[in-house]
Amino acid sequence: MTISKMLLGAAGLAMAAGLAQAGSHLADTSGKRIALSNNYAGNSWRQAMLETYQGTASEAVSAGIVAAADAYTTSENQATEQAAQIQNMILQGYDAIILNAASPTALNGAVKEACDAGVTVVSFDGIVTEPCAWRIAVDFAAMGKEEVDYLATRLPDGGKLLEIRGLAGVFVDDEISKGIHEGVAEHSQFEIVGSVHGDWAQDVAQKAVAGILPSLPDIVGVVTQGGDGYGAAQAFKAAGRPTPLIVLGNRQDELKWWAEQRDANGYETLSLSIAPGVASLAFWVAQQILAGEEVPKDLTVPFLKITQDTLDASLASTPEGSVANVTYTLEDAQKVIAEAK
Amino acid sequence: MTLLAKPWIWSWLAAAIAFGLTLALTSGRGAGELAYAALSFGAFAAIVGMGQMLVITLGPGNVDLSIPATMTLTATLALKVMSSDPGTALLGLAVALAVGLGAGMANFALIFLLRLPPIIATLAASLVYQSLAIWSNRGLRIKPPEGLADFSTGRFLALPNVAWVALALAVVVWVVLERTVWGRWLLAAGQNMRAARLAGVPVEMVRAATYLAVSVFAGLAGYLLASFSGGAALNMGAEYLLMSIAVVVIGGTSIAGGASNVPGIWGAALFMFLVVSMLNSYGAGAGVRSVLTGTIIIAIVIAASTRRVRA
Repeated sequence: MTISKMLLGAAGLAMAAGLAQAGSHLADTSGKRIALSNNYAGNSWRQAMLETYQGTASEAVSAGIVAAADAYTTSENQATEQAAQIQNMILQGYDAIILNAASPTALNGAVKEACDAGVTVVSFDGIVTEPCAWRIAVDFAAMGKEEVDYLATRLPDGGKLLEIRGLAGVFVDDEISKGIHEGVAEHSQFEIVGSVHGDWAQDVAQKAVAGILPSLPDIVGVVTQGGDGYGAAQAFKAAGRPTPLIVLGNRQDELKWWAEQRDANGYETLSLSIAPGVASLAFWVAQQILAGEEVPKDLTVPFLKITQDTLDASLASTPEGSVANVTYTLEDAQKVIAEAK
Repeated sequence: MTLLAKPWIWSWLAAAIAFGLTLALTSGRGAGELAYAALSFGAFAAIVGMGQMLVITLGPGNVDLSIPATMTLTATLALKVMSSDPGTALLGLAVALAVGLGAGMANFALIFLLRLPPIIATLAASLVYQSLAIWSNRGLRIKPPEGLADFSTGRFLALPNVAWVALALAVVVWVVLERTVWGRWLLAAGQNMRAARLAGVPVEMVRAATYLAVSVFAGLAGYLLASFSGGAALNMGAEYLLMSIAVVVIGGTSIAGGASNVPGIWGAALFMFLVVSMLNSYGAGAGVRSVLTGTIIIAIVIAASTRRVRA
């Protein structure tokens, strides 16, 4: 980040802070402490998420909006471990916990304890079902359906599709796949002829696709869940098959591959995923709740969509090897809250 | 000894059946494609599997659970050092092997100096390696240099280059195990460590060399896999933890130690890829696939071990 960008960011934050305090009904949160409880850090999406959170949090702390905004990640991606972590945060006297949960239900006990102790709990991405917590969710089913809707505009004649799913047994995987199948039911010219689990990882997806390809007829499109598009493209290339229309998931290597294909043969597609910066949105929502703002319990965050027109800009702003990202500001959070009301 | 009594035959038989069943679906179309893919992806499982095999041969309680983290760490550091610059492939390989060697030394130090059980020592060490990988590059994917990427995805005499590497390694491991004193020492130590020690086998040296070898193999596999799939990822090794143990067991190596089987590793590595391809091709869901994979593995292990008892 350049100095001028940092200054700009700081100026924006200062203005935002001014705005927040100018809103007469809102209380001062400068003495409040916020903690991030994160269940997993082992992929580039989570790393970008932590980085964005730390950027937003440290600027907010130095601007005096909150007293502390620390980030903690569990080492084993286990609900029991994360429950213990939440209990520690309650004991440490945090005013709010921002939570990316290992399980939608297994942490409910710990979350309830936090609520009872007067701690605000805001869950995002991996949300919890406990009613006392806030949820910032992505409509994953809509994301899956949008992929098929897009394919229908590009391939009006339809054809056979390959579906790459995420990690089996995870809620997000079920939701996106549900949306994809809804879309296919609606656009009956498409048929899913194969489905593999790519675990949201390029190498796993590449392996799974390479294994199923020999038994598949001609594929016109690949619907994905993010993190698997480049691997799929590699597998098609290795099998000597023509590259189908692969919906991508905002990873930098996918975008770069897309730009190369576009320059070489005019390849067109769509890329969409949840931006890791959603952690910064959760931070501002927690801050607003602490400030006394009336915030509905269920909020929806739009997914980040990259089209042919925005490809170059997105590619330029995404660090090599990372994920396309947006950092949400206080105004974004206020907008999301206002829309949910 | 009849062919059926060879412990490695079962993994090859299973691989052949999975191959046949997949092709039955397409009435033979795509046979070459499937075999090529199986050899490419089987190569990685074979390399880490051979490492794990050496460790498991050391006897009960010996296993290396740090393979996935070692793969991730070596691949991350090697790709960072190469930073996509052409002509740095050998430098990257040297870094990968050196990091693997370092991880092996650390593992053995924990086991030998601190007297930790290998399961605990390697599991604990793997948390450290994984954290180092995260810390060193924050999960950013660096592309391999173009020449290296071309090599790892390329072919020679119709076989994938990575398969040639794994085949060459298999020959070396086989020769070492069957034709050298060191291999005899390893088997002796695995069959009865105390008897081996009393017979004058330098048991600790054999153990050290074995734990170094497995980490170096994991380093090589990580380096090749990252070059093959377009960069290192923090979760790239995850599936090779169970995979490395599964190919050893399916391949007919005794889990009690003291008997290893190199050809079986290759058969099992091919089988592990083909069985997933087969179930995917037949449209089995994730749950069914896991249950069937588990059942098939148990069946093969039973078949292989009963035969050995009779023989």
